[in-house]
Amino acid sequence: MIIDINFIGLIIASIMASAVPLILASCGELITERSGVLNLGVEGMMIIGAISGFALMTVTGSLIIAIIGAMLAGVLISTIFAFLTQTLITNHVATGLALTIFGIGISAMIGKNFVGIPGKEFPVLFEGLKDTIPLLGPILFGHSIVFYFAFALPFITSYFLKKTKIGLIVRAVGDSPESASNQGINVRLVRYACILYGGAMSGLAGAYLSMIYTPQWIENMTGGRGWIALALVVFSTWNPIKILIGAMIFGGLTIIQFHMQAIGVRIPVQFLTALPYIVTIIVLVVISRDSRKIRLSTPSSLGKSFHKDN
Amino acid sequence: MNTNLKISNVTKIYPGCVANDNISLEFNSGKIYALLGENGAGKSTLVKILSGVIIPDEGKIYLNENNLKLNSPLDAKKNDIGMVFQHFNLFETLSVFENLIIDSDEQRESLREKIDTIMKKYNFSIDLDIPVLNLSAGQKQKVEIIRCLIRSPKVLIMDEPTSVLTEQETSELFLSLKKFSEEGILIIYITHKLKEVMQLCDEVAVMRRGKLVSVSEIKNENIESLANKMVGQNLKIIKKKKAKTSSDQLIKITNLNFTSEDPFETNLMDINFSVNRGECLGIAGISGNGQSELFQVLSGEIISEKNSIEFKNNYIGDLNPQERREYLMAFSPEDRLEQAAIPQMKIFENVALNNFKSSNFFDNGLINENKIKEHSKKIISDFNVNTDNIELKSQFLSGGNLQKLIIGRELITSPDLLICFNPTWGLDVGAINYIHETLIKINEQNKSIILISTDTDELLKLSDKISVIHKGKLSKIMNAEEVTSEKLGILMGGAN
Repeated sequence: MIIDINFIGLIIASIMASAVPLILASCGELITERSGVLNLGVEGMMIIGAISGFALMTVTGSLIIAIIGAMLAGVLISTIFAFLTQTLITNHVATGLALTIFGIGISAMIGKNFVGIPGKEFPVLFEGLKDTIPLLGPILFGHSIVFYFAFALPFITSYFLKKTKIGLIVRAVGDSPESASNQGINVRLVRYACILYGGAMSGLAGAYLSMIYTPQWIENMTGGRGWIALALVVFSTWNPIKILIGAMIFGGLTIIQFHMQAIGVRIPVQFLTALPYIVTIIVLVVISRDSRKIRLSTPSSLGKSFHKDN
Repeated sequence: MNTNLKISNVTKIYPGCVANDNISLEFNSGKIYALLGENGAGKSTLVKILSGVIIPDEGKIYLNENNLKLNSPLDAKKNDIGMVFQHFNLFETLSVFENLIIDSDEQRESLREKIDTIMKKYNFSIDLDIPVLNLSAGQKQKVEIIRCLIRSPKVLIMDEPTSVLTEQETSELFLSLKKFSEEGILIIYITHKLKEVMQLCDEVAVMRRGKLVSVSEIKNENIESLANKMVGQNLKIIKKKKAKTSSDQLIKITNLNFTSEDPFETNLMDINFSVNRGECLGIAGISGNGQSELFQVLSGEIISEKNSIEFKNNYIGDLNPQERREYLMAFSPEDRLEQAAIPQMKIFENVALNNFKSSNFFDNGLINENKIKEHSKKIISDFNVNTDNIELKSQFLSGGNLQKLIIGRELITSPDLLICFNPTWGLDVGAINYIHETLIKINEQNKSIILISTDTDELLKLSDKISVIHKGKLSKIMNAEEVTSEKLGILMGGAN
């Protein structure tokens, strides 16, 4: 059997494409969690981003407005979370769960009128270069701008956290909000900013799904990707580069198991469907075993409310 | 240049308590000032006001005649007031350098140079690139001091700085503080330890229950006069009579090991000791050297090998705390509100938590409230707990009263062995005295105590034998009369 080498390139490219929303949402949530805030509303923020992006695209016809609008929608819904958890000091877990339920509900309501409307084609970059290099051509070229951004994001996030002053402040707040506050850092402001950033990234991840990956609106179309993104953050031990690895494994196994189902491999479908979830978690647990490193990168104040008393 | 710091009529009121009642004080550079008082006297509130963490209800603060508006810690920093808190304000998972650069506006390289200069000048040696959690308490404190010195402060406030230090580290700290003072930094030293005030300071202000009691020069004071001012009454001195030596062995620990998976915990290595009836074995050490792990292993929170603990000729290493209580062991953990009691539960409910089997607190699975309440009232009156309301939630008891309740709860079954961990941590002098008397009484009744404590004076006062724990290893067991606090200090630092 002769396999076209470019066909393998295409498969790898499709794996990468399916990893994009996970990377975006995870890297956003990673910043949120690094500041000590546990936002379980990723799924809700993603689906809000998905419907906002799709609706704005259909109504205005502008892709730029749609993408930016989806991110703003993510920011808006995460502002609710920020206000509740940071200003009214509600419990992070309960508020995050409520956010997800709220997001799924309201997106279905808005989305009623958009079911069945075809999406628009999203422009891709470097289309012409696709055939110039075998194997690498289809992997590197011919993707949307969001795709390139997503694969740069883990490195940007890593650089931001390790090398910049603001990144240092974010880590400091997550390590000990009390100390940070006593050092004159405005803990609430930092956490608001991190939550809103996480919302924007989740919104973008959702927009990618409804505008680029499968350009149409389907109710509940995020299909649990928000939860996977959350799991990736934890099992990567808050390391953006490991998020990239985890997202690729998850994306890869999702694509491969589809193909296996299609070819008719005699393994129960339920097992194949579950495979990406199990393998991703096992791999991440194995590569993140060093308990000292876990201790150093886990935000100590994660999920705990901080209230400055005077 | 001279620095003059003036606190003028500062008042801070919390619901139900006046933390600072119209305090006025004046400080001048060149001297080291002590602010002395018991826990809850209002010292910490006052220094938090000076460092901008708390905003006073009334009153003003002047630095060199300028009225300061201290609305946040940043304001204090901008006005050259440096502060080293009792609980370190460090980020454990960040490196030392990251901790220092976070509130500095300087470039990395120039800051590094500055830090190196400071460390050379004062003889500090700290690796700047390791995470803070790998540092000893003394080193962490130095990081805090460096953080202040980077800003060349006019005022340096130290809040109970020696509570986590060894004797050696303390004398190092005192040398540094004297050096800072000579260089013109105004030092305010907050403590409840009288010895340190006498050793270090030039002037002393005493606070009690939110009020300023006296301001005087050290040369006109002595330990007794300061103690009486601080407590507000004459204290009786407690002394332990030498116990009759008994050779009746009660508990024996043989080759006890504990290896933790948590990098934050200390491994215990080859622990061997025994305690006879009527004896108090003191275990000294700087906190974080395995004391809490040792306590947990002894109490059964961590299960160990069956044969490693022999109690009254039974091997009990694999029993849980409840089963060990049945053999008449009792435990008083360090953290009163987290481990020893449940703060949201009422006093009598907390009393009931311990004695599941031996007492008849429960009838066929139902709570026998009357019996528990009767029992609780007995504890409260026997152990001098200052409340008559057993329906009170435990969190509203003061530290001293809660500790009395816990010790009382443990002792009412008249156990043969009481294991306590820092029983007087954070208590005021009156309560400390009461607890000490109680512990001495236990020994007089031919019962035994294992006292794990970071307070050397307490250990020397109460123990018959003393050992030192360092990095999870016990030193040899010494007779208490042959031990001095200096010797303990050396052992606590890890030397032989």
